Amino acid sequence: MILTGVLLAVIGLGLVGWFAARGRARLLYSGRGSMHSMPNYHGWHMALWIIVPALIAWTAWSAIMPGLVDGVVMADPAAASLPADAMHRNAIMAEARTLAANPDAAAFNPEARTIAEPLRAATTRYGLIGALIIGIVAFAGGAFGFTRIRPDFRARTHVERAVLGLLLLASLMAILTTFGIVASLLFEAGMFFKDVSPIAFLTGTHWSPGNAIGTDIDDNFGAVPLFWGTIYIGAIIAMVVAIPLGLMSAIFLTQYASHRVRRWVKPILEILAGIPTVVYGYFAALTVAPIIRDFGATLGMANPSTESALAAGLVMGVMIIPFVSSMADDALAAVPRAMSDGSLALGATKSETIKKVLLPAALPGIVAGVMLAISRAIGETMIVVMAAGAAARLSANPFASMTTVTYQIVQMLTGDQEFNSPKTLSAFALGLVLFIVTLVLNIIALRVVKKFREAYD
Amino acid sequence: MTNPHWQTDVATRRIERRNAAERRFKLLGLGAIVLSLAFLALLLFIMLKNGLGGLDWDFLSGTDSTSPDVAGVWGATKGSLLTMLVTLLLSFPMGVLAAIYLEEFAPKNRWIDLVEVSINNLAAVPSIIFGLLGLAVFINTLDMPRSSPLVGGLTLALMTMPVIVISGRNAIKAVPPSIRDAALAVGASKVQTVFHHVLPLALPGILTGTIIGMARALGETAPLLMIGMRAFVVTPPGGVTDPSSVLPMQIFLWSDEIDTGFVQNTSAAIIVLLVFLLAMNGIAIYLRNKFEVRW
Repeated sequence: MILTGVLLAVIGLGLVGWFAARGRARLLYSGRGSMHSMPNYHGWHMALWIIVPALIAWTAWSAIMPGLVDGVVMADPAAASLPADAMHRNAIMAEARTLAANPDAAAFNPEARTIAEPLRAATTRYGLIGALIIGIVAFAGGAFGFTRIRPDFRARTHVERAVLGLLLLASLMAILTTFGIVASLLFEAGMFFKDVSPIAFLTGTHWSPGNAIGTDIDDNFGAVPLFWGTIYIGAIIAMVVAIPLGLMSAIFLTQYASHRVRRWVKPILEILAGIPTVVYGYFAALTVAPIIRDFGATLGMANPSTESALAAGLVMGVMIIPFVSSMADDALAAVPRAMSDGSLALGATKSETIKKVLLPAALPGIVAGVMLAISRAIGETMIVVMAAGAAARLSANPFASMTTVTYQIVQMLTGDQEFNSPKTLSAFALGLVLFIVTLVLNIIALRVVKKFREAYD
Repeated sequence: MTNPHWQTDVATRRIERRNAAERRFKLLGLGAIVLSLAFLALLLFIMLKNGLGGLDWDFLSGTDSTSPDVAGVWGATKGSLLTMLVTLLLSFPMGVLAAIYLEEFAPKNRWIDLVEVSINNLAAVPSIIFGLLGLAVFINTLDMPRSSPLVGGLTLALMTMPVIVISGRNAIKAVPPSIRDAALAVGASKVQTVFHHVLPLALPGILTGTIIGMARALGETAPLLMIGMRAFVVTPPGGVTDPSSVLPMQIFLWSDEIDTGFVQNTSAAIIVLLVFLLAMNGIAIYLRNKFEVRW
């Protein structure tokens, strides 16, 4: 609590420093060319000297303070009654922390109440010490910055260097995120593969993590049915819907439609891509799935299920249409005009030109677009969670309920089991597989698109 | 003028056939568009038919409940707003600064290539993977409060940032070099040129991209499912660390309810969500049309 206040105080101090330095620099200003930097830059320079060191001190203190507080509380006689078991003790400490912040909170462990008082005292004491240290750092930084205000001081150069550092830091966030994803997936999946052999995971055909106990654990984590379900729904059914519709829409809009029609229809078509997936999922479950079930029944299916691969795949395909359409649009637009003009001049009709000249020339771009669409479809979660079902089965029957990688990830992580069970960890192994597959698809597709653009440039 | 070879029966029939094929192909294209739009119309029609009856003040101001008659969306809406606030505050400055760096200052070297590759890939990584990242880092490692708008916003910010960087770079690239040259010629430094001249001109484009990224984040459910934002929350969250739900999650939770009264609630909540998204996209289009400069 105190530390949050300190943070605000530091920012306030920075503001004061900004005005003070600017005012001082203005006094030094004696006419055109008398100073290297504008007074504003002197203000920024000083504000940076106040805020940056203080922020560093603040971060460092926030990191070490809990340890110091815990040390004091543990040394307190009231803590002698705490159980030695680390997990139990941490639970009590957490409760005591809530109590220290809010004395009216409920506590299950009576020990928490006894240590809440020393905990609060220690927190206040160390908070005040921290505030003092941070304050000293801020003032020292500010004083240093203030002494440097002279007409020939290159404040602007210094400030701009700091700005560049900030920009670099922001762009490194992307690498940090990628690294975070890879590291966390690898780490958790590694824990999973300690219990389950990777080969059994990747090649086994039996998936029932619920029964996974004891020695036959390998037999229950065979992910092949999940991979098959994912490919069947995302890469087959959805693409059977999305590729013809998306491609034909793109051809119609770019080759046949008048400018006015194109201007209105394209954004409306894009709405399909903007609708949240949870809405599609609900639509699939509420409207599409019953129709498909009834259709299956009329085909003579014995007791068709409400959840079907077809319902999920169909709706997913519709969701992907605008994506395929805009990728095909780009690919067709990249084909040089001279090629289709040449074909038309030889007397070919428009559709013949499109089929024989434009499409073959645009094929690499279209294929890359389809790959990106597949990578999007297999990572899609809500539609399959709401419409595809939980049964892991290897079947080519589109009316059957089928499960996917993303569905199982959700299933494994929303239950109530402890975090380190193989069942929970399997979600991260599945996530790792999903990440690698989509990454490879994306990299290949982006490369193909780039090559293809260069070929016609 | 007329070539006698074209007047024969065979030739006429062939031309007829080719013209028919042409018409068929065109109809096929038209059919594809009509079918896609019909699906959209059907979806909207069904949601409106099921949900319009449930949209009243009690629904908009109420919070989640086990009874469909008293359940409302205000709690989830407030959760969504708080989450979006966290996302915007983090991803917008980060995204814009990164875009400026990559477009204006970055040297050509392997590190920068790595940054570019990872940004392009992050934009295509399935959202559920970001949820796994959020779960592993923010909740299990950093011990942040589960199910809170803070963690949800952080996770969505990581997801939205690449979108903002990419659109920001395009907007900055579209500013003609003559603007930069003019500023540099009168003695502005590189940083001054970018912040005083390039950035203001690129801002409408950046804002458009940001709004579109935010709209995507607002409709996102899967990553939030991973970090546990599926709790049954009766009181609207008071701050970013309180447990809360968000609109798409509320839709998901209600869609699972067996009570048929929730069909109306779910559809009504979908209408509320779609209205938000439509408004955001409308603003983005308006910004683009109003401020876009063709150089």
